[in-house]
Amino acid sequence: MTISQLLEQFGDKYVLALLTTWKLTACAFVIAFAVGVLITVMRICPIRPLQLAGDFYVQLFRNIPGAALLILLVYALPYLRLVWSYYACVLIATSLIPAAFCSEYLMAGMNTIAAGQIEAARSLGMRESSVFFKIVFPQALRYVVPAMISELVIVLKDTTFAYVVNYADLMQNARVLISNYDALLSVYLVTAVIYILINYALNRISVAVARRQDAGARRAAGRSR
Amino acid sequence: MAQENSECRAGGAVPVIELRHVDKHFGALHVLKDVSLSVHKGEVVVIIGPSGSGKSTLCRTMNRLETIDAGEIIIDGVPMPQEGKKLAGLRSQIGMVFQSFNLFAHKTILDNVTIAPIDVLHKPKKEAQEEAMRLLRRVGVDSQAAKVPAQLSGGQQQRVAIARALAMHPKAILFDEPTSALDPEMIGEVLDIMTELARDGMTMVIVTHEMNFARRVADRVIFMDNGSILEESTPEAFFTRPQTQRARDFLQSLSHRED
Repeated sequence: MTISQLLEQFGDKYVLALLTTWKLTACAFVIAFAVGVLITVMRICPIRPLQLAGDFYVQLFRNIPGAALLILLVYALPYLRLVWSYYACVLIATSLIPAAFCSEYLMAGMNTIAAGQIEAARSLGMRESSVFFKIVFPQALRYVVPAMISELVIVLKDTTFAYVVNYADLMQNARVLISNYDALLSVYLVTAVIYILINYALNRISVAVARRQDAGARRAAGRSR
Repeated sequence: MAQENSECRAGGAVPVIELRHVDKHFGALHVLKDVSLSVHKGEVVVIIGPSGSGKSTLCRTMNRLETIDAGEIIIDGVPMPQEGKKLAGLRSQIGMVFQSFNLFAHKTILDNVTIAPIDVLHKPKKEAQEEAMRLLRRVGVDSQAAKVPAQLSGGQQQRVAIARALAMHPKAILFDEPTSALDPEMIGEVLDIMTELARDGMTMVIVTHEMNFARRVADRVIFMDNGSILEESTPEAFFTRPQTQRARDFLQSLSHRED
């Protein structure tokens, strides 16, 4: 089967699978971000056990392979009488790991906020929670945008693990097509090209944002001297 | 002489800022040694001394940006705690202007001035903005209100920092080397505003190397070296008849540098 035949015949299937991949990526990314923020707040809050829990989370999830986590969720947890839907398992596996990295980026971003700004906020009588949510966090967030877009690429690639549990994303779509038609090369080729194009576009956006921020920072440094 | 001077100004009133036997160490370094000091309403106190003498640290302890090991800091009769809600409340009564401006980089100039009145004093936004514009006009940067700090010159940024401090209606403002990070041509514009504030009766504690300014504006000069207050007198007395050898050496070294 040639590529043109493939697209003609199964183009709609590809579109459907692509939408599934996107949906999964978007959900996973939103969860990853929310969890990442939560973990970061835990790590910098003054309560020691929460700090330790946050650090433990990050060490655990940044070091576990995505596929291993998914297999654990799908095949091992049922032994503990925890049975979740495939969708939930895929979502958890593809969001908890990036959440750990998200938290790492945020911590790095917060370290770039000049200590002087924090002192200024305190000297104005702002409470620690205000200092964090109004001064430190918004600036850390801007700083991490390029890194988070790169993270989005990783999340999108990680959603391919979904095929392990037969979830109908792009990758699974490819596998189904192959097992029904004799077109291994062209099916995978099309699938790969789709992934590459999307991720290439995301990376370009990430680089453009980072470059714009660098230019802004250089302007700031040049002016304040 | 110094004692007489401050007591005659005080008229028995509670000092705005009072330090009692303050001690502080940075590790093995004893940076503040039994420092006691009172600043009264409307007074302009200038702290001078060689670098490393503890003058910036002293200034920063006055709103607990530095912790202290012993002694007391009393703001308008209320002892300052080490931390917590009450500390934030007392801090909001004492403004601070830093060497490196420390404007909030992600906020516009206007928002830099309104953020604390809205967040801490719970002022309505519109009211805070109107007052901020008034203050920005007073320091001459109202035309820059919509910009972000990075778009302003150092001198403009420092003037915004002064407006930001004023917006909290502080009982006193601390200036920690406010012109040390500025290009020479911008120092004047910041000192002019500080002179105006002093004339308007603002209570001020100023750490500076600008001796002419100190002489012109100060009610009282404090000379520090090695973490101790060595002299405390009127600017006239200090600059013409310094009592200690170290103060004489310090003033000598400055006059050499300025030649």
